[in-house]
Amino acid sequence: MKMKVGLFDFAGCEGCQLTVMNLEDQLLQVLQHIELVEFRELMTETAEQIDIAFVEGSICRPGDRQRLKQIRQRSKVLVALGSCADNGGVNALGSDRTPEVLRQQVYANDLPHLYTETPQPLSAVVKVDYRVPGCPIDGQEFLAILQALLLQQQPELPAFAVCVECKLAEYPCSFDYGQVCLGPVTRAGCRAICIDGGGHCRGCRGLIDNPRTSPYHRILEQHGLTVEEILDQYRTFNVSEKAP
Amino acid sequence: MKIELDYLTRIEGHGHLIVERDGDKIVNCRLQVVETPRFFEAMLQGRHISDVSTIVARVCGVCSISHTLVSLKTMEKALQIEVPPQAQLLRRLLSYGETAQSHLLHLYFMALPDHLGVPSLFKLLDSKQELVARALRLKRTANRICEVVGGRSIHPVTTCLGGFSARPEASELKKLRQELVATLPDLEATVELFASFEFPAFNRQRNALCLAPENDYPLSSDNLLSSNHERFPVTSHHQRIEEYISPDSTAKLARCEGDCYMVGPQARLRNGQQKLSPMAAKVATALSLEQTTLNPFENLKARLVEVIHCIEEALHCIDELLLRGMGRVVTPNIPSLAGEATAAIEAPRGTLFHSYRFNTQGIIEEANCIIPTAQNLASIEEDFKRLLPQLLDLSAADIQHKLEMLVRAYDPCLSCSTH
Amino acid sequence: MLSDFSLKFQAEEQPERPLWRAIQSTEILHFVRSLLLAYDVIGVQKKRGRLVLDSLQDAADLVLEFPPAVHSPKKFLFPHWDQLFRFKLDENILLEAETAAPPRIIFGMHPCDLHAVKILDDCLFEGETDSSYRAKREATLLIGVDCTPDEFCFCTSLGTDRIAEGFDLFLHKRDGHYLIQTGSERGRKLLQDHAPETYDGPEESPLPLQVKQCDNKIKFPFESLPNLLEDAYDDKIWQELGHRCLGCGSCTLLCPTCYCFNVQDKLEISMQEGQRIRTWDSCQFDQFAQVANGNNFRSSQADRQRHRFFRKYKYLWEKHQRTACVGCGRCRRECLSEIEPVTVLNQMFADSPQPAETRPGSEYQPQMAQIIDVEQLSEKDRLFRLRLPQSIDFTPGSFMQISVFGLGEAPFSIASAPDGGNEIELMVRKAGTLTQALHRSRKGDSIGLRGPFGSGYPLASMHGKDLLLVAGGRGLLAIRSLLQAALADRHNFGRITLLCGARDIEALVFPEDLLDWHRSELLDCRIAVKDPDNSWGIPSLDISYLFKDLDIDPQRTIAAVSGPPEMYRQVNPLLFRMGLAEENLYLNLERHMKCGLGKCGKCQINNIYVCECGPIFPYSAIKHLGEAIER
Ligand SMILES: Cc1cc2nc3c(=O)[nH]c(=O)nc-3n(C[C@H](O)[C@H](O)[C@H](O)COP(=O)(O)OP(=O)(O)OC[C@H]3O[C@@H](n4cnc5c(N)ncnc54)[C@H](O)[C@@H]3O)c2cc1C
Ligand code: SF4
Ligand code: SF4
Ligand code: SF4
Ligand code: SF4
Ligand code: SF4
Ligand code: FES
Repeated sequence: MKMKVGLFDFAGCEGCQLTVMNLEDQLLQVLQHIELVEFRELMTETAEQIDIAFVEGSICRPGDRQRLKQIRQRSKVLVALGSCADNGGVNALGSDRTPEVLRQQVYANDLPHLYTETPQPLSAVVKVDYRVPGCPIDGQEFLAILQALLLQQQPELPAFAVCVECKLAEYPCSFDYGQVCLGPVTRAGCRAICIDGGGHCRGCRGLIDNPRTSPYHRILEQHGLTVEEILDQYRTFNVSEKAP
Repeated sequence: MKIELDYLTRIEGHGHLIVERDGDKIVNCRLQVVETPRFFEAMLQGRHISDVSTIVARVCGVCSISHTLVSLKTMEKALQIEVPPQAQLLRRLLSYGETAQSHLLHLYFMALPDHLGVPSLFKLLDSKQELVARALRLKRTANRICEVVGGRSIHPVTTCLGGFSARPEASELKKLRQELVATLPDLEATVELFASFEFPAFNRQRNALCLAPENDYPLSSDNLLSSNHERFPVTSHHQRIEEYISPDSTAKLARCEGDCYMVGPQARLRNGQQKLSPMAAKVATALSLEQTTLNPFENLKARLVEVIHCIEEALHCIDELLLRGMGRVVTPNIPSLAGEATAAIEAPRGTLFHSYRFNTQGIIEEANCIIPTAQNLASIEEDFKRLLPQLLDLSAADIQHKLEMLVRAYDPCLSCSTH
Repeated sequence: MLSDFSLKFQAEEQPERPLWRAIQSTEILHFVRSLLLAYDVIGVQKKRGRLVLDSLQDAADLVLEFPPAVHSPKKFLFPHWDQLFRFKLDENILLEAETAAPPRIIFGMHPCDLHAVKILDDCLFEGETDSSYRAKREATLLIGVDCTPDEFCFCTSLGTDRIAEGFDLFLHKRDGHYLIQTGSERGRKLLQDHAPETYDGPEESPLPLQVKQCDNKIKFPFESLPNLLEDAYDDKIWQELGHRCLGCGSCTLLCPTCYCFNVQDKLEISMQEGQRIRTWDSCQFDQFAQVANGNNFRSSQADRQRHRFFRKYKYLWEKHQRTACVGCGRCRRECLSEIEPVTVLNQMFADSPQPAETRPGSEYQPQMAQIIDVEQLSEKDRLFRLRLPQSIDFTPGSFMQISVFGLGEAPFSIASAPDGGNEIELMVRKAGTLTQALHRSRKGDSIGLRGPFGSGYPLASMHGKDLLLVAGGRGLLAIRSLLQAALADRHNFGRITLLCGARDIEALVFPEDLLDWHRSELLDCRIAVKDPDNSWGIPSLDISYLFKDLDIDPQRTIAAVSGPPEMYRQVNPLLFRMGLAEENLYLNLERHMKCGLGKCGKCQINNIYVCECGPIFPYSAIKHLGEAIER
């Protein structure tokens, strides 16, 4: 029996689902081992029972909560797909303001259908078994996690920081040319793709389990950042993870 | 009779379809956009300009490159930063890659099942292996453009204010070129496939808007052109284009001079057909796409023509880049200036506007984005009203299917429209 | 050391003596071009503004003068991603292990890198040979080149700035050209085949070993590193480093000699086949030392940093008699927290007790201590309580040297327990001039003191054990110190038994204390006097009688016997007959002592200085020394 796999989405950019689609030839091979039973973006079919549900996006409205609980009920294993689902991701950027203020700023209007609450990760509503971090997720990591689940193993995420992948690939450190980088406290697994792109890490994969924040902050201070600016560094993708 | 379809499938984002009929009269017919508002325009306030393009990319995974590029363009305009020619070429190449992958995803995975009578392309995994494999192959090549130039197919990592922070090696471009050439047979097969489909006849006069085809096919210009032959600067768009709130939609809708209008592939083809690449022009003729009244169902054909245009132009871009020689990455200094600007780009689904105002510290004080799908939403509803009377003899299921096809033909991106 | 293993090519005949030839830069270019046709040539090239070791595509890209590149040749000899074997899942079939390595040349190995390869050889060929490393090592030719040290290099402090062997060829920079030296038969052939003109060129005279200049220096002889660390296990510097370190692991990943690895299975997308691979790991990661129950025996970053330094400068050294750090500076170059081994080691050295770095002769100068109490114990014995200028730390059984100016110095056991304070008790028995002079000292007087000297009873290792203390005559002094310490920490010990013997009542040293102990519930104290005068009402007994009805559990007993040698000859056999292990018996050896510093040789028995290694010894450590107990 092939395992039944579903993809679901809530508030997000759908980039994580698309990353799965973009696995292309690899996806074709994976489809030999699973039965894709639900994937609204590309399929009309739905399913009663799901073995593994990958859920993208944040939970922002009462209706979302209900729909997520139903998905949980139908699924044996539920995996958060991407930062939005894992920790609120970029959606949580506005959580320094109330939803009312946000509504006024964008719509200058308070019609009932515009109602939202502060975006929450899936785990605020249901039990999340595993997670695929990143904004967007890394396709290869998704495959490895799916493989592990198909073999009934516990998927594991790297516990070390992005710097490791950066050093392995011998990229120049962005601190060397004056760009502050979140790599030292961010979970590896993306092959330091942003540093490869000539930029710096903004921490889209969330913090490592044991971020060494005080030495890290000292380094940031040496690069002329104030406490406020340091906290700001965490604020693109890590708003809901308490900035340490 | 009442049709209530929750969560339309095979579209980007979340929308419901509602049709209520009382005998021969349609009493209610709506496309509800229920996508959760994410408040990007508010979230940008207080952020530094160096973070803006990274954040706005997350408005939409499918057109993250367009959001990135238009946001950079807007800020560069405000700061009067000159983008070097190599970077301009690379950005163009990146856009072609994005449009091609977005169109191919739509053509094969969202629209094609309707024409083949299956709920999804995955149903054909066994029976039509070659078709599915071809779909994925084509998508792969389009995505490869984005990866080689943008560092990642979704949410690019090499783009930055003033140009690029990393550029591909010449050897990578050469390899990419070979891959692009190798897709030509697949493209041919695709044209054959889509040429064989019947599209419902549903033409209506409409205003179609896109960036003016100045030197080439609409992509990036400072002027807009409408099918009513009106040309006006992007900066004055707010004098004609007005955003408004509908109780049916969490996305803000838009109208031009009080009326609904269409953006996207059909609009671009309508206004810029003469600038198509030679191969694309031939395909356009073969698919008989020269009419002046527009049938939204034929958006599919327009999309296919654009795919071919993108691949052909991408080849030219690569050749030009290689001919000039891949120079070093030069990123200009970012001046500490306050600024304000609006710019637009042709995203896969149509004209995309970004406007920002920021202070001397580079902190955003105000931001606004007008999304292609939001501009098309009013058009879709208008089409509903015109189309439904023609469908009244059909069963509820068939009506629903036709309407779904109509919505899909626009390839709406609801997550994007409710940014 | 390479034990009994040698690489295939090493078994080949070595060239009789190295060839030396001049080679021009253009010839090098031709040489590399020719090599590229037959080999995967790895060389240093500029990539994204960095010096990176990678496969050469074009001979012209090869850089020959450079400071250490980002990664060392470890990148190719012991790569981060190394397939150990392939397997098939459903059939449980093991596919052939892949040990074949492509024929390769690493062109441009600095002396430090070549030393690093020796360290990898030491570790990976030890015991079960690592065949994957061996395959790569055998298929790879190493071409050395002179280096250009930068501000982080410190090879000169470790002797790794020069090398005489361990390469196939070596290029020495001269004015405007190079001298090429062969180091192996393979190297000679390589030169012959791929640079025949150079090979046939005129012989050049050999250069002496090239010595470099580095500004970054270890300020002490590197041979003392293991000893320095020995005493620095609890140094505060580890905490300091722990607070600064990000745990990112860059230092170890880039180090040319760190080879700790992880083993993982990677499945193909087909899920039919997979490979077992090894990847670099780092002792700086949280989960490196984590075990199944979640416990981490190196739980803080301070622990992890200490481990890194100990492994480099002590553990591996002691194992292979070679420093495991070659001073390439890679760990510092890429450390965001700027943790620098040289600075750390120099600071540790500065903080360590500096033996006699002050005025010459000061190690022989006593400091003045004040007599704060004098107690007449018996006619010949006086107990002095002394206050030192600072607190004093010692183990029971250590001794002090008392100075009386004009009369000299003599050793005295510390009779009190260490309590962290600055007061001690010394008992002086009248013997000759110096001891008599001491007896004349009064409360308030000052006397000279040096010490503490020697090593005493290892108190902590006696925790949880029963103590059997046997004292004869003045031997009770050291035992008193031990007993007081044990009583102060009573709950940490099992049964305590004290057997005390003396010639006569006069010879019993602490009569009052003995009576107290005799009455105490805390220990079992028995006394035997050979020739009592009956004022104590005890029978005339030899100390061996006290063993008659002694009931000890030899498994959990530690015995401390302290007295004259004849007592040892008498008592030791009794104890062994009761089943006591030799290493659980401690003896106190009194010898004539002068310096206390392990220098003068007075106290030497066989090859041991009693003042340093004793006076307290486990029997097992001295039984083979004829001079210890026998006369
Ligand atoms: C490790 C150790 C601990 C000692 N602890 C004590 C103690 O706690 N209380 C105590 O009263 N005595 C102790 N002694 C013995 C004490 O050192 C001698 O009694 C003292 O040196 C005699 O000196 P003097 O000038 O009074 O007599 P001297 O006239 O110089 O000699 C008298 C006797 O003492 C011996 N002696 C002299 N100098 C030394 C010396 N440096 N080392 C060893 N024996 C020597 C001589 O061989 C001679 O037999 C200890 C000896 C040693 C080696
Ligand atoms: S995590 Fe990022 S890529 Fe994924 S859905 Fe959210 S915004 Fe999009
Ligand atoms: S660029 Fe960032 S991730 Fe890379 S080493 Fe530097 S701090 Fe670490
Ligand atoms: S480098 Fe940082 S921001 Fe970029 S993908 Fe990796 S974790 Fe995310
Ligand atoms: S490189 Fe520096 S910060 Fe990173 S683990 Fe090593 S010592 Fe710590
Ligand atoms: S410890 Fe540092 S200096 Fe020593 S060999 Fe390793 S990287 Fe080089
Ligand atoms: S007392 Fe000088 S060597 Fe022992």
